[in-house]
Amino acid sequence: MVCPLANFEELYRTDHGAVYQCSRQNCYWLEFAGDTTAFKVGDFLSFKKKIDAIDVSAMIINPSRTADFTIVMPFRTPRCFVLYINDVLNLRELLNGAKFMIELNSVVNECLKRTPHSLV
Amino acid sequence: MKDLLRLKTSLNEEIENILNAQIKVEAHSSSIYLAMSSWCDDQGYDFSAGFFAKQSEEERKHMMKLFNYVNDRGGKAISPEIVNIPADFESFRSVFEQMLEQEMYVTQQFNHIAEKCIKLKDFVTFQFIQWFLEEQIEEEYVARRILEMFDVIGEEGIGRWEIDKHIPKVSYEG
Repeated sequence: MVCPLANFEELYRTDHGAVYQCSRQNCYWLEFAGDTTAFKVGDFLSFKKKIDAIDVSAMIINPSRTADFTIVMPFRTPRCFVLYINDVLNLRELLNGAKFMIELNSVVNECLKRTPHSLV
Repeated sequence: MKDLLRLKTSLNEEIENILNAQIKVEAHSSSIYLAMSSWCDDQGYDFSAGFFAKQSEEERKHMMKLFNYVNDRGGKAISPEIVNIPADFESFRSVFEQMLEQEMYVTQQFNHIAEKCIKLKDFVTFQFIQWFLEEQIEEEYVARRILEMFDVIGEEGIGRWEIDKHIPKVSYEG
């Protein structure tokens, strides 16, 4: 459940979850697999890097039952992500989309703040 | 919508990654020069051992300059893992050849960073790395001058002893 005091806006949504920005607490909320988790900006980017670094090919090739899933426990969150291969792919899609929107927002903000003479 | 990303960092992700890669290159240089210093000491080239120890310290200072810049701009500097540092070298001359190759590689990397800064319009970082680009003129000059001493003095007889003695005197006047 997203904090009721949060002033949040949806950044990106897929069939498997969503990412919101809370401009009051300067953090991102990740809604995934039936739960929500708040991340500070730096932690969110680190979490994305961690998910991107998961070697899905190795998980597929490895016949061991323990290789079917991976556990990610991001620092400064109470959450423990137990991710099967399809969860990793779904989470990646969500985080990639959210990151794109975060960067797009930066570009839009930069354009809006430019003085007219700098656009010439 | 509030721009949380820019509130956190002024560095573009690509620039942050490339600077972190350069931190690793500088740390690697520092470790290689320390290994060279140890080898020179072991082989009886006292002045060269001192020269490389000083070079190693300088490279670490360069690393820290980059490290602090990344953090000061809101990025996340990564303390690098350094592996594969050789403990043995083929000859006295080859140590300096390797030093020149290393310095040329570092220059190439900084040129690549400058190119990336221009492409991404990060003129603050572009300005910051000017110091490193200027520093590379000296680093390459010194390594090349020392290598030339091997030809000028020659390695026969007391040649290597003579070269070793002259190494601390090689400097770049600019």
